[in-house]
Amino acid sequence: MGKYELLKKKIDEFKLITLPAIIVVFILFILMLGFYFYNAWPAIEKYGLGLFIQNIWQAAEEPAKEIYGLAAPIWGSIYTATIAVLIALPLAICYAIFVNDYAPKQLKYPLIIISDIMAGLPTIIYGIWGAFILVPLLRDHLMKFLYEHFAFIPLFSYPPISGYSFLSAGILLGIMVVPFASAIIREAYAMIPSVYKEGLVALGATRYETTKVLIKYVKPAIISGFILAFGRALGETVAVSLVIGNSFNLTYKLFAPGYTISSLIANQFGNSVLYKYMTSVLYSAGLVLFIVGLIVNIIGLYYLKRWREHVSH
Amino acid sequence: MESIKMETNNLNLWYGDKQALYDINLPVYKNKITALIGPSGCGKSTFLRCLNRLNDLITTVKIDGNVMLDGRNIYDEDVDVYDLRKRVGMVFQKPNPFAMSIYDNITFGPKIHGIKNKTELDKIVKWALKKAALWDEVKDELNKNALSLSGGQQQRLCIARTIAVKPEVILMDEPTSALDPISTLKIEDLMAELAKDYTIVVVTHNMQQASRISDYTGFFLMGKLIEFDKTEKIFLEPAHKETEDYISGRFG
Repeated sequence: MGKYELLKKKIDEFKLITLPAIIVVFILFILMLGFYFYNAWPAIEKYGLGLFIQNIWQAAEEPAKEIYGLAAPIWGSIYTATIAVLIALPLAICYAIFVNDYAPKQLKYPLIIISDIMAGLPTIIYGIWGAFILVPLLRDHLMKFLYEHFAFIPLFSYPPISGYSFLSAGILLGIMVVPFASAIIREAYAMIPSVYKEGLVALGATRYETTKVLIKYVKPAIISGFILAFGRALGETVAVSLVIGNSFNLTYKLFAPGYTISSLIANQFGNSVLYKYMTSVLYSAGLVLFIVGLIVNIIGLYYLKRWREHVSH
Repeated sequence: MESIKMETNNLNLWYGDKQALYDINLPVYKNKITALIGPSGCGKSTFLRCLNRLNDLITTVKIDGNVMLDGRNIYDEDVDVYDLRKRVGMVFQKPNPFAMSIYDNITFGPKIHGIKNKTELDKIVKWALKKAALWDEVKDELNKNALSLSGGQQQRLCIARTIAVKPEVILMDEPTSALDPISTLKIEDLMAELAKDYTIVVVTHNMQQASRISDYTGFFLMGKLIEFDKTEKIFLEPAHKETEDYISGRFG
């Protein structure tokens, strides 16, 4: 065997073509992470851990008087994403099962296409709809009712004056991630080998009884779908900025306005150059989002991969 | 005189526009094993799935003709298909235990058909596993996940699961094709044993198997039932040239 052939054998051409792209993506990723660290460092150095666990936002022209703590937006991000996932969970599962098992054939593909389009819509579209339609609707028909009758429950005890709140953001995010989460569940559900379904049906199980068992097969996919949806909700910016009310509230009260990390950055970025530390603080906030998002997505993808291996063996 | 448990009359089946079964008339005798043989794609599995209406799952399937069970057409409008499938059970080619415990696999069928009493369910589990010759191997680990069993054990569990709902007919779609020779032998012994109480229809690729275990054999070719007779007749003096060619291994 000549040297050339040996070389040819070792190098797969396609690998060779894709290699630069992979390297570029990887380098970009590392550079970005490094860049965030670099820019966040002055704030982290100055405020220490307090930057992440205190709730304070004091911009001042004198750098010595500047104090920042990101607790409220960090909390807001996690809180709204959690609300979103709790709302999206039942809807996404139902949608996935309906599309797979119940929808008539003519309806199945239109439904899939619609949900895929919904998943890809520019988020500003959700944001405007949320701000002008959803928020007033929720305020007048849900929040006011709950506040008037159930204000003794602390969750509902904040007066819903504007409607712009954690709840509004959570619900809007929930609506936004349903198509995404349901696509993951739908695909996983369709991947269940037909012998299991047939085995259930052949025992005389009704469609409901069959579905009840089959849904257990996709439990890991459901979990990963929601972890990934959580990651999406966490990072969503525009739509949330329009409905959350943008104020530094560190509270679990659903009707209170709040902040998320991304809405904070979107709102404050314009002013940040006026202050010495604010830009760096915003980078720190971005870094938190970066790292949390990274962890959440890795866990979600890991679950999904494990399930795929499990089902295809 | 042997009595007929099931029977098809001029059964035709289409997948969309493509016809897959042509005028099948085949009797299934009570407490006998009927083997269906034929090359891949000849329609024997499709035919088997008509007997418990499993083809209903495929929306493009169209069926014409009758399938009689104890003298009633199972495709009649007023037939309760869930009850039909309780009476006509099925074992599949690939063992398909559900991802739950051995115990729950067996009790799933009885439960959906209305048995809730724990003592009674316990009794069914023991009875069905004994009947499927699996009891001794698993009696101490009934709560173990069924997927941890070996392939042969899984298939016997599937048989136990099928008989747990007390069917009258058991359909088997190449039940041993995914198993090793020893497991295959066990299942074959089991089938002979089960035939005392049940009527069995088995699709098989394995001609020796058909000749070993069955009382009657139907030979399918390209969607048609070429020949149906007592197994020894089919294997010793087939009436059709195609049958002879197939069983002597000239094609298939």
